[in-house]
Amino acid sequence: MNGVVNGRRPEAKSQDSSASGNAGLQDELRSAEGNTRLETAVPGEPPTQQPLGPDPAIAIGRIPLFERRLVVASLPLIATALFVLLWWVVKQAYGWNDVILPSPGRVLGSLAKNSQLLTKHGLVTLQETVLGYGLAILIAVPLGVIIGYSWVVDKALSPILMGLNAVPKVAVAPLLIIWMGFGLEPKIAMVVLLSFFPIILGAASGIKATPDDLAEMMRSLDPSAAQMFLKLRLRAALPQIFVGLQVAIALAVIGAVIGEFAGATKGLGYLITVSGGTADTALAFAALVILSVISIALYYIILGVERLLVPWADHRP
Amino acid sequence: MPFLKIVNVSKVFTVGKGAAVNALHRINLDVREGEFVTLVGRSGCGKSTLLRIVAGLVSASAGHVEIGGSTVDRPRRDVGLMLQKPALLPWRTTLENVMLPLEIMGKKGRKYRDRAHELLETAGLSGFEGSYPRELSGGMQQRVSLCRSLIHDPAVLLMDEPFAALDALTREDLSNELQRISARHNKTVIFVTHSIEEAVLLADRVVVMSPRPGEVKRIIPIGVPRPRTLRKSEQTEALAQASSELRDLLFERADVAEAAA
Repeated sequence: MNGVVNGRRPEAKSQDSSASGNAGLQDELRSAEGNTRLETAVPGEPPTQQPLGPDPAIAIGRIPLFERRLVVASLPLIATALFVLLWWVVKQAYGWNDVILPSPGRVLGSLAKNSQLLTKHGLVTLQETVLGYGLAILIAVPLGVIIGYSWVVDKALSPILMGLNAVPKVAVAPLLIIWMGFGLEPKIAMVVLLSFFPIILGAASGIKATPDDLAEMMRSLDPSAAQMFLKLRLRAALPQIFVGLQVAIALAVIGAVIGEFAGATKGLGYLITVSGGTADTALAFAALVILSVISIALYYIILGVERLLVPWADHRP
Repeated sequence: MPFLKIVNVSKVFTVGKGAAVNALHRINLDVREGEFVTLVGRSGCGKSTLLRIVAGLVSASAGHVEIGGSTVDRPRRDVGLMLQKPALLPWRTTLENVMLPLEIMGKKGRKYRDRAHELLETAGLSGFEGSYPRELSGGMQQRVSLCRSLIHDPAVLLMDEPFAALDALTREDLSNELQRISARHNKTVIFVTHSIEEAVLLADRVVVMSPRPGEVKRIIPIGVPRPRTLRKSEQTEALAQASSELRDLLFERADVAEAAA
């Protein structure tokens, strides 16, 4: 038996050395190869079929996999280009003027011309989003964990939370202004209102979904409640917590804009309102572009943090 | 003086609206120190439940279990448990997974690390200390699980079909491994299995259980000295005979039912 395992070992090592040899390509391939491993490393596989060695099937699969990742990376760019083309074609076909629908070129021009203005207001919206999102995490993750742990709390709080979530947030915006004034606070509150629900759901379902076999193994070691939580349940919940965080980040940006629509003197939402009033549609579109960029950037930051904290989860390319 | 005593253990599960299922009915079993006992039976005979009662994970409806003179009322630290699934924490490396029981018991230090390395080497896992479970084959994952159940040097090893999900070759490998380890460290082992051959190969005594209610039907001593392999022909014959006896016992009821019909 030892012979079989030892026989595999040098191969596993040789793969490690090749990883340091061409790190760039290896990085590109890592996640794809991780998937292959997941598929092959099912119980019942004899050790002679381990995925660790430089399996010829994987070696042949390398080039297509690399190309596939290039395709994956270029898909959003191609789609965006097609969208811009469609935009331009529609505008030309219907002969709409620039107040109704500015051309892509005009929006680009406005982005360049108003870069300072957009940066200033963009930073305000970004600040509101990040503060509100951070606050939502601080409130919602512990609450979700408690709900996941205790069915009493779950049953008691769920109706209230459902009710809160069912309230149209836009309708609350004027109230927030009455309560908190025209400063940052009502915007932050709006961000919290929009983003906290998916975070609670993610945390609660993650805590509830501790795999039975892991829980039983852990219990057989007679751990303290704190050990059970920190060493198993919280760690096992992280992938689902991050699903909630990813959904919430897009909602957080929307929350900031809703807050600004209701009454503000700065921020991209404010800028969009003002540019509407002055019929500067190109500027409104430029602000929308910046909002999208903020939203996408924050999303990818969360994704990056997830890969850092949850490297064991199955990350698709 | 038996080391592990199962005394009059019964377990009743309540299913749905008050319907009671007799999972185990008055089980009595004495296990000597260092003895290897296998529990065999059809699905639903309560063998896994019995193992969990011994492990302190499930409470008995009646009766009790004693290990080393003290009654089991919760999971114990002188017991190691190994399940059908490897149940490795996916965010921990091989070494970290093996060290988990010690960590939970608050045992730290160099000598424990050395012990972990030694165990991993015995299990043929040197070089994989830093690998994550997803990077290991099913057989290797189960080896890690075996090392984890041994790391705190438990007197008793409880195993619930640990090799059932493995292919035949890996299973034979691990059976040999387990025999060596249990003999060398004088472990008392209770091993649940579906496989007649596995039960006979590993055990000093095979406990045959029957379902509804779960009862001990017969206890068959296997007179062949351990460790055993299927390679020695003089052993093979005795083991084959025991297997066939066991097979007759397990299929008895089905045959009778067929004859009646």
